Amino acid sequence: MSEQQPTLRLERVTKRFDDFTAVDELSMEVRAGRVFGLLGPNGAGKTTTIRMIVGITAPDEGRLELFGQPVTPELQNRIGYLPEERGLYKRMKVGDQLKFFSELKGFSGRAADEAVDRWLEKVKLSEWKRKKSSELSKGMQQKVQFIAAVMHDPDLLILDEPFSGLDPVNVELLKDLVLELKAAGKTIIFSTHQMEVAERICDDICLINRSRKVLDGSIREIKSGFGRNSVALRFEGEGGGALEDARLVASVEHHSDYMEALLAPGADAQELLRRLLAAGARVTRFELVEPSLHDIFIEKVSGG
Amino acid sequence: MRKFWAVVKREYVQRVRSRMFLVVTVGAPLMFALFTVVPVLMASIKTGGPTRVAVSDETGRMFERVRDALVSGRGDDDEDEDETAAAAPEAMNQNSRAHLEQMAKASEQGFEVERVEAGGRTTEEIKAQLNGRVSRGELDAYIILPRDVLGGGEAQYYARNVGDVFTRGQVRGALVRAAREARLDERGIGPEVMRAVNQPLRVKTARAGGGGEEDKGQAFWLVFGVGFVIYLTILMYGQVILGAIIEEKETRIAEILFSSIRSFPLMFGKMIGVSLVALTQFAIWGLALAALSLYGAATLAGRGGLPEEFQLNIPASVYAYLVLFFLLGYFIYASLYALVGSMVTTSQEGGQLAMPIIIVLVIGFYMAFPVIRSPGSPFAFWISLVPFFAPITMLIRIVTQTPPFWQIALSLAIGFATVALLLWLAARVYRVGMLMYGKRATIPEVLRWIRRP
Repeated sequence: MSEQQPTLRLERVTKRFDDFTAVDELSMEVRAGRVFGLLGPNGAGKTTTIRMIVGITAPDEGRLELFGQPVTPELQNRIGYLPEERGLYKRMKVGDQLKFFSELKGFSGRAADEAVDRWLEKVKLSEWKRKKSSELSKGMQQKVQFIAAVMHDPDLLILDEPFSGLDPVNVELLKDLVLELKAAGKTIIFSTHQMEVAERICDDICLINRSRKVLDGSIREIKSGFGRNSVALRFEGEGGGALEDARLVASVEHHSDYMEALLAPGADAQELLRRLLAAGARVTRFELVEPSLHDIFIEKVSGG
Repeated sequence: MRKFWAVVKREYVQRVRSRMFLVVTVGAPLMFALFTVVPVLMASIKTGGPTRVAVSDETGRMFERVRDALVSGRGDDDEDEDETAAAAPEAMNQNSRAHLEQMAKASEQGFEVERVEAGGRTTEEIKAQLNGRVSRGELDAYIILPRDVLGGGEAQYYARNVGDVFTRGQVRGALVRAAREARLDERGIGPEVMRAVNQPLRVKTARAGGGGEEDKGQAFWLVFGVGFVIYLTILMYGQVILGAIIEEKETRIAEILFSSIRSFPLMFGKMIGVSLVALTQFAIWGLALAALSLYGAATLAGRGGLPEEFQLNIPASVYAYLVLFFLLGYFIYASLYALVGSMVTTSQEGGQLAMPIIIVLVIGFYMAFPVIRSPGSPFAFWISLVPFFAPITMLIRIVTQTPPFWQIALSLAIGFATVALLLWLAARVYRVGMLMYGKRATIPEVLRWIRRP
């Protein structure tokens, strides 16, 4: 596959349910080998978009191309999908279950057996292979579902809120596996409303709200284009009125052991530091911070 | 296609491996045996040995006949049956009636009959004495045959236990037979003449224009058997199909499945998987039954061969039709269950919604009767093309008055096309309904989904 051809391309895709428009003229491109974040608040249309990509529903209008072609059942085999609505057959053994799901992706035989063992090993569930899934904890089930999405070695992996409900250890485990897949050249679409997670692993994002695209591009570009300067600050003693100077500081947000000062437009952070030192304050932290995805999200969603 | 087989395999293997399958496969015949054999056994238990009966014969000509009739155990057949039937609870079907007769036979532990000499005593004196003996436990019952009993008088049967309808029936039968013989004898008709008169007349039924082989109506009963098996299968497996369709909704796996496989092969695969389970179970039962009947036939053969009624005389084509229409009937109703399953979200809801299916099935049974009476009528023709009724009605037409082949073929074609259509509908409703969790589809919604996915 050439670098130029995107793994996935949506062109003015629209999906309606009766009189409700779930996705409204959405266009986006997912480049091969990148981690793409599909972000948005609950009910924004993320899941509907994904369902169209994996071929569960068809768009009412617009074009949707996967690997340069319209979605067909054969192409479905090249997608791995971890839906947000997660389930396993309760009375089926973990190993049998994984083999069934991979057979549905056209992947069977000895290679599938080996893949089951290898992946169970990776997520530390080998000894659960012969257990029924109803005996597994929720976190374990989630890891099994993750395996079901990746074990047939798909070129495009779609993860809908993959980390929700997991403990931090398992979040790290899965995150490393996702990055491993990325290193292996897989394209990953990652849907979430947790901006902290998206910020850590996504290269590109598309933010949708109320069925429409609000913003997209690489995280780098988005952040640098988002002209907002703030300083994380901690000091002891008097600030000498520097923080109250409206020419310098637009607003101050207090956190547990530091504060965040949003600089006034055109103000220089060095000037603020100088004023503080001049006033005799002991500065223990002074850091220029970029706007977080979280801030951008809040501003775009509530303001837009 | 590979995905389709993956679904079939999963449905089949998961179910056949389950403990439930084993329990039902072994348990159901045991239950059946329990319900058929135990009542007979229970009824045949009559403790206390033979019934001791005293007979006071004032006519002087009845005693031997009554004794012979009681001891030989053969009462007058018709009369006997009337008594038992009237005494037993009403609304008995053929089957339980046969049971009762069997029970009565089983209770034949015999009678001990003694003669009471009048010795010049009055009837009242004799009764008083016999009542005394009954209450002392020396007798179980006594019979008074007054002098005019052969001329329209009334025989009297006094027993400690008048609730024992079996014994009562036997006594009554014996008395009637004895009286009939005595009356004939009175008029100079000897036992030989009687035997000649009583000789039964056999009626041979054969199809007009056929080869003259006798038709014993077995084919007809076989059709009812097939209808019954369809009914039983649906009753047993309808819920299983419902459960199989709903399983992915309850466990929320549907979304993964639909991102891998189209809904029609999924639905069809589930159907075939569950049906194979049913077939496996039936095959096990069938083999067990065949083994048993072979064993039975072998023992019977040792005693002089199978009774004629069990020697089937049915053309091979009818067997083929039996199988085809059984499959049609099963799949028609099974796909109705699948359709219901696609509309609901839990099996409880499904159970309620599936009630009408059973009603349609029962109506199909009743359709059989008008068709038997006039298998060539336009009504029979049309009803045997309606897919929900065809399995029973068309089979009846085949065994009674075989219709032209094109009608049979048309009926089968319509039927299997309906199955495909129902499954297609179910698949469509299922896929759209899946996108809206937790809510049962209303009929207008379903109609809209069918029009536009």
